[in-house]
Amino acid sequence: MVLDTVSNKMMRIGRASVLLSVVLFGALLLSGASSATVSAAQLPPDPFESVMWKQMAERYFPGEKVVFDSRVIVSAPKSAENQFHVPITVDATALDNVEEIVAVADLNPIPHILTVRPIKALSFVGFRVKLQQGTPIHVGARTSDGVWHIGGAYVDAAGGGCTAPAMAHGQSNWMKTLGKTRALTRRESALSARMTIRMRHPMDTGLAAGIPAFFMNKITVRDEAGDAVAELDLYEPVSENPTVTIKPSVGQAEETLQVTARDTEGNEFGFPLVVPSFNAQ
Amino acid sequence: MNAKVSNNERRVFLQSLSVGCAYCAIAPAQAKLLDYKLAASEIAKGTWAVHGANEYFNLDNGGNIVNVAFIDVPDGIVVIDTGPSKRYGEALLALIEKTIPGKRILRVYNTHHHPDHCFGNQVFDKNLIAAPQGVIDNLASEGEGFSENLYRLIGDWMRGTALVIPGVALEAGFEEVGGRRFSLYYLSGHTSSDFVIRDDETGVLFTGDLAFMFRTPTTPHADIATWQQSIMSLDSTDRELIFPGHGPQDDKGESLKQTADYLHWLDDNLRNSVEQGLTMNEAMDLPIPSRFNSLSVLRTEYERSVVHLYPQLEDSIMQEVIVTR
Repeated sequence: MVLDTVSNKMMRIGRASVLLSVVLFGALLLSGASSATVSAAQLPPDPFESVMWKQMAERYFPGEKVVFDSRVIVSAPKSAENQFHVPITVDATALDNVEEIVAVADLNPIPHILTVRPIKALSFVGFRVKLQQGTPIHVGARTSDGVWHIGGAYVDAAGGGCTAPAMAHGQSNWMKTLGKTRALTRRESALSARMTIRMRHPMDTGLAAGIPAFFMNKITVRDEAGDAVAELDLYEPVSENPTVTIKPSVGQAEETLQVTARDTEGNEFGFPLVVPSFNAQ
Repeated sequence: MNAKVSNNERRVFLQSLSVGCAYCAIAPAQAKLLDYKLAASEIAKGTWAVHGANEYFNLDNGGNIVNVAFIDVPDGIVVIDTGPSKRYGEALLALIEKTIPGKRILRVYNTHHHPDHCFGNQVFDKNLIAAPQGVIDNLASEGEGFSENLYRLIGDWMRGTALVIPGVALEAGFEEVGGRRFSLYYLSGHTSSDFVIRDDETGVLFTGDLAFMFRTPTTPHADIATWQQSIMSLDSTDRELIFPGHGPQDDKGESLKQTADYLHWLDDNLRNSVEQGLTMNEAMDLPIPSRFNSLSVLRTEYERSVVHLYPQLEDSIMQEVIVTR
């Protein structure tokens, strides 16, 4: 809700204020988190040698314990072929009881990429991100005991991914295709499915001259009983036309999952996706 | 100036920067004098090849990763592609003068707009440089971005290099240059405009990057279906020898087979990956059949191709869903 308010304000008051809002928003997060943060002395050294590691840990991985853990596998290319669409896949399925996955690009002007809560899903997520420069990526998986398990990668990139306008702004009719969605759902096993959704959205960061922030900020997947299977909070760095892969847990029977997505202007998009029965595949 | 227009220009510019970029830190000032050490070998009568390394751009090769050729025709010299930089162009000119002393350059062809093939243009008379209009347009829109990215990739080798766009737009099926007839073919697939030249006297077919030999094909601007059609059309073109854009000359059509085989596998593999719902990273990790082990830069180029080709495959393969708002 806080984000919505901030973002709607961004829409109205233009770029300088957007920058200010982003900073304020960050400060809000920081102050809210500081009480229970690991002190710098306890913080493990960063294998990716990020100059921002301490700040990233304090701000995005608040809690009593932070450990680097090889069970959080972060796949990313060493060099970004296209700084507007850098693919990242996080697989923390070797960890039990993951409640939340948080991904950040340390040296982006807006570091927070996304947060995933795999409520009834495997702790796995694939997405694409805009990078402003070469940067360490840190991904934390918080287990139910409150421990942040951290994995990461370093991605080199040519500059400018976050401050250039989206491709959509080269087309006059982009508003008409907003939220247009392609999707693919497959069964992975008797107990899980693989779901990729690709939605049309400019994912404006607010950092390109004259274009206010405007991005898809929430995707929720629910089962037939209406219970949340997975929740994703997306932030400005997620690439244009967000393309996200998750793995919901399902029963063996055919099942219809309901996806709801919302952007920072309050547009809501909903659609059903059918997971075939285990026997059908 | 309209902010939106300038924004979009910036976007196009940045996008073209990213095309072809791989990691390479710019080293501190080069202590040694940079020298491409170009050498020419005669691959057909009066036809001289200058082969580059079968590598990707780096600070050691200075972008000399490309094939360039020059031809001794009765009344002068014809040059095919000009290399990655002004420094390369200068070295090429010196090599031509040394190999064929005292003859004038009458024509320079650019096979396509990729920077390794035409950033030596600067040392030649603009009004002798010829290419199809499509190559000229592509260079005009993306050339500056390429130039910036090459400075990032090869550093000081690029010093003083500036984009020069061909001064002659070609559309005829052939032209006579200095007493030699050249057949001209207007194809596409590797880029939106790929220009192929045949020396009708020697039968050497200069394919540009429609053919790669022992080097993994690159796809930043590729349309694979069109590329395959172009390969078929080249395969049925009369010739004695193929001079590919990268790799050794080929008198058996092996470069066309290698390129077609790899592109076929690449397309199939990526289609399957999208159909399976794999993320790009998962697709990048897939095994590559061992028959492609003879192609250099294999894994790197494959990973780049995943990024180039995945989005359009997703848009064609993944089904559209009905969204309620």
